[in-house]
This record gives sequence, structure tokens and C-alpha cells, in this order.
Amino acid sequence: MRRIQRLAVPVVALSLFLVACGSDSDTASDEATADTTAEVVTDDTMADDSASAKIDITALGLIKEGAITVCTDAPYEPFEFQDETTKEWTGFDMDLMKAIATNIGGLSLEVTVQPFDGIWLAPKAKTCDLVASAMTITEERAANALFSEPYFDADQSLLVRTEDKATLVDLASLAGKTIAVQTGTTGETYAKENAKDSTLKSFDEPAAMFLALEGKQVDAILQDLPVNGARQVKEPTKFALTATFATGEQYGFALAQDNTTLAAAVNSGLAAAKDSGEYDTIFAKYFGAKG
Amino acid sequence: MNMSRRQRLQLVRGGIYALTIAALALLIISVDWGALGGALFKWEVVQKQFPDILTSALRNTIIFTIFGFIGGLSLGLLLAIMRLSKSKPYRWFAATYIEILRGIPLLVTLLILGFGIPIATGWSWPNPYVQGAVPLALVAGAYIAETVRAGIEAVPRGQMEAARSLGMSYTRAMVTVIIPQAFRIIVPPLTNEFVLLIKDTSLISVLGVTERTLDLARFGRNGVNDSANATPLVVAGLVYLALTIPLTQLAAWMERRSKVGRR
Repeated sequence: MRRIQRLAVPVVALSLFLVACGSDSDTASDEATADTTAEVVTDDTMADDSASAKIDITALGLIKEGAITVCTDAPYEPFEFQDETTKEWTGFDMDLMKAIATNIGGLSLEVTVQPFDGIWLAPKAKTCDLVASAMTITEERAANALFSEPYFDADQSLLVRTEDKATLVDLASLAGKTIAVQTGTTGETYAKENAKDSTLKSFDEPAAMFLALEGKQVDAILQDLPVNGARQVKEPTKFALTATFATGEQYGFALAQDNTTLAAAVNSGLAAAKDSGEYDTIFAKYFGAKG
Repeated sequence: MNMSRRQRLQLVRGGIYALTIAALALLIISVDWGALGGALFKWEVVQKQFPDILTSALRNTIIFTIFGFIGGLSLGLLLAIMRLSKSKPYRWFAATYIEILRGIPLLVTLLILGFGIPIATGWSWPNPYVQGAVPLALVAGAYIAETVRAGIEAVPRGQMEAARSLGMSYTRAMVTVIIPQAFRIIVPPLTNEFVLLIKDTSLISVLGVTERTLDLARFGRNGVNDSANATPLVVAGLVYLALTIPLTQLAAWMERRSKVGRR
């Protein structure tokens, strides 16, 4: 997430396997689990394009038949929140999970709300099948849960006024201009390192940054993609998102460590959603179109 | 026990002193001074604050304060005279202005003026110093107006009457007779306004700060982020004191001097 203190080393699904195997203190059974995980995950990512239809739903070990039950710490806009009119769970995580559940084999989505602290342990306790809660994949969490392929890059992004949409498209185009950043965030660190020709103006909170951008006191805002994106979707005539910068922070779904079959199914469902363009549609709904 | 009232009083007082000293001693013994020093006054971190805290942060705080005070004093003087004017619209305008700008927190005024005006009008502030100092001066003006008004009202009425009877116009009497005497009276409360203004400059950073426009408080806060230690805040606090204490001493000296003059 946004604060530097919370910036942990991100781990992709493959390095998860490396971490688990790399520590000698692991018990034999743990290593075995990790081994199979890696195999299933890699096998699956290679062969999933055609596999999604062939998944045996009875083998997934779902706690509720015909549905994937997810734990989430809601509301956390725009990732998970209740729609004001329909009262249905919605948001980026929820919509994506619905698409994945459908792709796996016509499953529906059940939502259980849990506090975020230690939420990645909930699948192990059979409270739910998996956690979908805008969770960054970290080494610490990966030691206690099985993560899916990353489904969201919590990147930094550039928000500008719509009239500058065509000109202020990257950091180079902002040379000599003023960029707003939030004090003490990864965005500020990124800007200090990569936007040396621009003036950086730091603010305490996003609200002031948006006001400053609108009032032309700054030319761009560099901060977390979800924050900039959600604002762009709310006020598409005022602001435009023109660039994203990779920081390596990624979100993943967390499962019980031994539930490799479901992990494989989720990964193939996710890959299918990316291939079919469903992912991009959901992304654009909450964060605006990239570029 | 046969004790006089005075003896009893002395005994009670002695008891209170003894208790206070014991409590202080206990505090001094129980506090881990090493840990406290490490957390609040780490020498390496202290050294790292200099010279930037003086050449940049203190400079910015002084710039904001001076512009805020000069603007506020001019505006306050004008408003005070308007408030005491015989013309109703003037009085009404000054009273409304003072009520509104004294009633809204400076933080909110800063945000409204600093961001709201550019958004509403399309005009943008020429530079961060103006953007910060103008709202500061406008608010200071409201406070100073009331101080100046009190000062003018404290000048004996006979002064104005005497000046007018000598053939001076109202304006001439005000400028040459009343206001100079009023200022002598308001030196202490005006010093108070000045000190408050120094500290209020720390709020300007909500409008966003660049490396060059950091004020003392924000400099300290950034230092905490960089060093993961609270020392920069303590250093910033000490620099504020280095600014305010000489100032209040100067005001006290001026006050004493003006009293001598009046004898």
C-alpha cells in the first residue's frame, strides 16, 4: 500500500516457491507442499488457455457448493464496497473474482467480511476459500498462505488536467514543471529519484493535491494508481491519467497453503479473464483507461 | 500542639516543597535519560539539521511572518479606523470582515484562498510565498484590527478633543496624535500577535511545499521522515524559541522604555 512502512518485498508466484524452499528450517512436509505448489502453478500458467473448461469443480474443495467464498476487508474503495442501490458487493476485487468464478465453471461469488489483520489465515481456518482484499504479496504473508498469480500492480501513476492530456505523458515531459506528491510515500521517493528536472511539491493528503491540480498550482500528481485512478473515474472531464510507473508492488489472492488445485483453477480463471478482455473492462471501470 | 497560624502555614508550605522536590527527584531517577536523549536529541541527527534549518527553513518562516505582519498591520490599522468611523457602511464592512476571518480557522482560510480562488477564477497565485503570505496577512489583519481598535479607544478622549480644538482635521488628529499614542499602548498585545503569527506560518505547508519553501515546522517533520527519529522536531522547536524569546524580550524592553518616557 501507500505508506513506506507498509512497503514490503513483493513476491511473485514463482519466487514464493523459491522462498519456501530456500529456508532450511522448513519441515519436510512444508517443502513438499511448496514443491507441488510451484509445479501446479507453473504447469497451469503454461497450459491454461484451453484448461479453464476442463476443471473438475468437485475437486476444488470449496466450502460452499457452487460458489467461491471470499474473505475481504470491506469497504475499501474502489477494491471492495457495497453498491449503494443494489447492496451487492462490488469493486475491482469483487468484479474480477466474479469473472474468475464464472470462468472456472459457472461458480457464483459469496462474500464474507473480515478485518484485515491476519486475513490471509482465514482460508486455512475454512472461513472462506480465498482472500480477495487488495492484499500486497509479501514474503511474510507468503510464508503462511498460498498466493495466486498477481492480479493487480499497485503502481505509481501520473494524473494531469485533461487539457494537458496530450503533452504531459511522462516524467520527461514534466521537466521544469511542478509535480505534487504526498509526504512520506513511495510516490515521493519515486519522484525524487526519477523526476530530478521537475519541482516537487509535497502535500499532507490527497484532497489538497487534487485541489492544487485543479487550481493549477501543480501540473501533475504522482501517487498510487488506485487513488489517482478512482479520482479520474469520478471526474473524467477534469483529470486524465497519462502514465503508470512500475514499483513491483503487486496484489494477489490468498489461499490455504495446501489448496493447490483451487490456486490453479483461480490462476487459469484469471488468465482467461485477461485474455478475453474482461480484466481490462473491469480495470477501466474503477481506474480509468490506462494511457 | 500550639502553633500559630503563621507556623502552620509555614509547615504546610514546607511540606508542599518537600513533596515537589521528592517527586522531581523520583522523575529524574526513573527516567531513562539515555533513551530519552536518543529519541529526542540524537546528536548526529541534530548536526544533520544544520545549516539548512537556518539558511532555508528559518528564512522561509521569517519571510512568511514579516509579509504576514506588515500586511496584517496595515490592514488591521485600516479596519480599526473603519470600525471607529462615523460612516455606517465602513463600520459594518469592518465588523463583518473581522467576524468572518477571526471565526474561521486559519487552516480552512488557507485552503479556501490558496486553492479555492484559483479553481473559481482560473487565476493562479504567482508564487508560493504570495499564496501563503496573503491569507496569513488577511487573517492577521482581522486580529490586529481589534487590538488596534482597543488601543485607539484607550487613548483618552480629551486628546482628540484638544487636537480638534487646535484646528486639526479629524484625519490629522488621528494620524499625528491618537495613533502614535495607541501604538505605545498596544506594544504588548501586538508582540503577542507577532509571536502567534510566527507559529501560524507552520500551517502554510498544507498548500504544498517545495524543497525551497519549507518552513521550520515542515522542515522538522520531513526530518523525522528521513531520520526515523523525533530529534528534528525538537531542533525545530528550539529554533522557534530562538526566534520568539529575543522578540518578547525586545518588546518588554520597548514597553519599559515607553513607560519611562511617559513620566
